[in-house]
Amino acid sequence: MKPSTHRFADVIHRLEAGGSMLPDTPENLQQIIGIYKAYAVPMDFYWRDLLYIAEQVFLQPLPAFKYVISQAYLDRPNSYAGAQSKLPIWRGTEKAHPELLAFMERGETRPMPKILHHLWHDRVNMEFAEACMQAMFWHQGMGGRFNDYLESEAYRINADRAIKAYFQGNLVMLGLYKLFPDMFLEQVRQLSYYANLGLFWEVMAPVFFEMSDLYDEGKLTSVPQAMDFLVNGIFAVAGRPIYHHVFIRGECFEIIPKGEGFTWLYEAALPYVEAVFYRTSPFRGTKSYNAQADQVPADQAEFHYGILYADVYPVGSAGIPPTLLMQDMLHFLPPYLQAMYRTHKRGEEDQLIQLGITFQRSMYNVTSAVIQALRCALLYPLDDTDPEHLLANRQFFEAQMDRFLRPEARLADIQTSDYR
Amino acid sequence: MATILETAAAAGMFTTLLAAVDAAGLRTALEGPGPFTVFAPVDEAFAGLPPGTVQTLVDNPPQLARILKYHVLSGAHRREELVSRPEWESLEGAPIPIRRADPFEVKNATVINPDVPCDNGVIHIINRVILPG
Repeated sequence: MKPSTHRFADVIHRLEAGGSMLPDTPENLQQIIGIYKAYAVPMDFYWRDLLYIAEQVFLQPLPAFKYVISQAYLDRPNSYAGAQSKLPIWRGTEKAHPELLAFMERGETRPMPKILHHLWHDRVNMEFAEACMQAMFWHQGMGGRFNDYLESEAYRINADRAIKAYFQGNLVMLGLYKLFPDMFLEQVRQLSYYANLGLFWEVMAPVFFEMSDLYDEGKLTSVPQAMDFLVNGIFAVAGRPIYHHVFIRGECFEIIPKGEGFTWLYEAALPYVEAVFYRTSPFRGTKSYNAQADQVPADQAEFHYGILYADVYPVGSAGIPPTLLMQDMLHFLPPYLQAMYRTHKRGEEDQLIQLGITFQRSMYNVTSAVIQALRCALLYPLDDTDPEHLLANRQFFEAQMDRFLRPEARLADIQTSDYR
Repeated sequence: MATILETAAAAGMFTTLLAAVDAAGLRTALEGPGPFTVFAPVDEAFAGLPPGTVQTLVDNPPQLARILKYHVLSGAHRREELVSRPEWESLEGAPIPIRRADPFEVKNATVINPDVPCDNGVIHIINRVILPG
């Protein structure tokens, strides 16, 4: 087959050879594995708290303590970690990660009661997880059938039962529900996305922990190997059910039953990648956009504010979702990444930016894994001998790379090591 | 003649598929009058999926049923008829594209043996598990 003439032909040829969008260098490998580890620790809190909110806090009108997770959810066994798991992706503990528990105890300040850590904002930034959930909730319609179900009569009936049970005996809230039923229903839909994202991240945390352990043991030695580990993980859990159960006074209400057949891959992973890696929405406080001058696309599918397009420097401002994540990851950086950041740019002064760019590199690798998994599921093996099949693979890769032709994309930047 | 499931069992190359049909609770449906068109992946097709993929599905019958239903069409359609349209709606709901007539290709799978007649439909034997999307 002739070489591609696409602007990112080099990347396409690398993908065709079984590689990643991220060049295979020892430093790239070290950066992405280090940041996966730093990401997985707060993610271990995110998924637990997302499920805690979806299943327990539910429609609490004043959810002031939704980030103060119960011990039961800290101890909740991860379905993909530890000896109890039927499919143990990570050999470590199924309960909350020890580094997470140590951080919750001490924070950046010192040990004090949870509520004081909370009020001082010395804690895991759950607001980041909620921003991701809101991106999925707001964009909707990104494949899968989750969203259609949220609009169905079956969902309305299930949600209605749960709402009435939750506010049983609360005449004020039941009265409000009678007056504004759709407002309550919309809240439940959002809570279903909390469950969706929680179940999605419950898988990703042990995947990243295991990759970090394998790297530390010298068993993960190249960027393509790291990508392949993700591809295999995507397949292994693709059929995991996505559901939303709520527990009210000990009774389980199945708002989205497992029997609906929703899967991790179609209803969670692919919509997540589309909403969070590619689309999201402009963050407040970073840059002004004039929608009337078409600076914000009219079509949501054209939104390009995700990590793959982010200019990490301005998003390093306080309080906005990506910065919240950077701050969370900063607490759990492996020593080798801390040492690396000290030797570049402004050293510790701009660690947040450097780790943000590392995160961007790492998410280009995760996106590569998604692209290769889709190619594997829907198209043909890379070593296929049929020219038409190889052409179909080529067209698929080129179509994926077309999304990075817009000037904001960072694909060209991550090809070099001086982008930090 | 035999039913779709009897034919598949006699062929001896669909052990995984038949176990999956049982795990998903689809046996009764597929033993009904139908008729159905089944794109039946051989054992090697399931073995070619990354480790854990099939097990996760077998552990979750509704999710498994969804993937299996993507391999079934309503009505008995022979190859000649199938290639006359670019795609067919599966029982799962998502369309199955017919990508090539010769060699006969259904989505990214190649049909190893088309038009196996059965009492309640027709089987086309394929070399790969096909997935919606």
